[in-house]
Amino acid sequence: MSNFDARVQAMFAEDLPPQVDPVFSAGVMERVARRKFLAETASLSGVTVLGGVVLWALWPQLAPALATLSQGLAPLGAALAVGVGAVMLLGGQIEPTFPREV
Amino acid sequence: MKLDDPDVALAAQAKAGSTAAFARLVSRHQQPLRAFLRRTCGDWALADDLAQETFLTAWERIGSLRKDQGVRAWLCGIGYNKHLGALRGASRRRARDNRYQAERPPQAGAMSDERLTLERAMAALTPEQRACVALCLAAEFSHAEAAEALGLPLGTVKSHVTRGRARLAEALGGGDEQF
Repeated sequence: MSNFDARVQAMFAEDLPPQVDPVFSAGVMERVARRKFLAETASLSGVTVLGGVVLWALWPQLAPALATLSQGLAPLGAALAVGVGAVMLLGGQIEPTFPREV
Repeated sequence: MKLDDPDVALAAQAKAGSTAAFARLVSRHQQPLRAFLRRTCGDWALADDLAQETFLTAWERIGSLRKDQGVRAWLCGIGYNKHLGALRGASRRRARDNRYQAERPPQAGAMSDERLTLERAMAALTPEQRACVALCLAAEFSHAEAAEALGLPLGTVKSHVTRGRARLAEALGGGDEQF
């Protein structure tokens, strides 16, 4: 490197931005997070719409099958609900409050 | 890019979707990118806007970063294209001209006469010459690295650096010795 190049380089180095500027970094990462969120939301919306369209298209075939199934599964569903409720109560996940005896 | 370069691992993690790794890349490369864009644009506020947009584009296109490619040069290439896009936009050009005048005085106040002369000489160069000078003279890029970053032929970069350097030498005095 010549003396002139070194001189120019030194002059350029006089007003370098800071090594790390937290405000700048935060601004970039905020925009990245926003972009990522929008992309994920768009992707999920697309999947939801696609699922809705598929369901709508298959509904004439699904409806009778579901009606038949639901009649057979209703007692099982009720039994499951009671079972899950009991596990939650007795398993300590939901502590029932009883009045204390004095 | 060398294998022991931390950028290799960070880029791989960012490609896998890690925003934390990308944040590290932002921290590591924000200074050289902002400095390059400031020298190329002349307008510091616009340069910082472009630097943010550059990182945003880099996040979206991180998958296109090759393993043998330097992150810094890749970012400078994206930033340079952003700068050219900004120059093409008429509204931005007007804003740049206005803001150039508005932005410079506070910085110019702290600058030496020689530094101001350098700024004026840089402003008189073409955008391509400024970019080549900013990379090769200020940021110590080799001509080949600058050519890859800017997407210009090697001979063109050498020519821009030689001419830009001559214009700076003319303005500042000196630079007679060969480099």
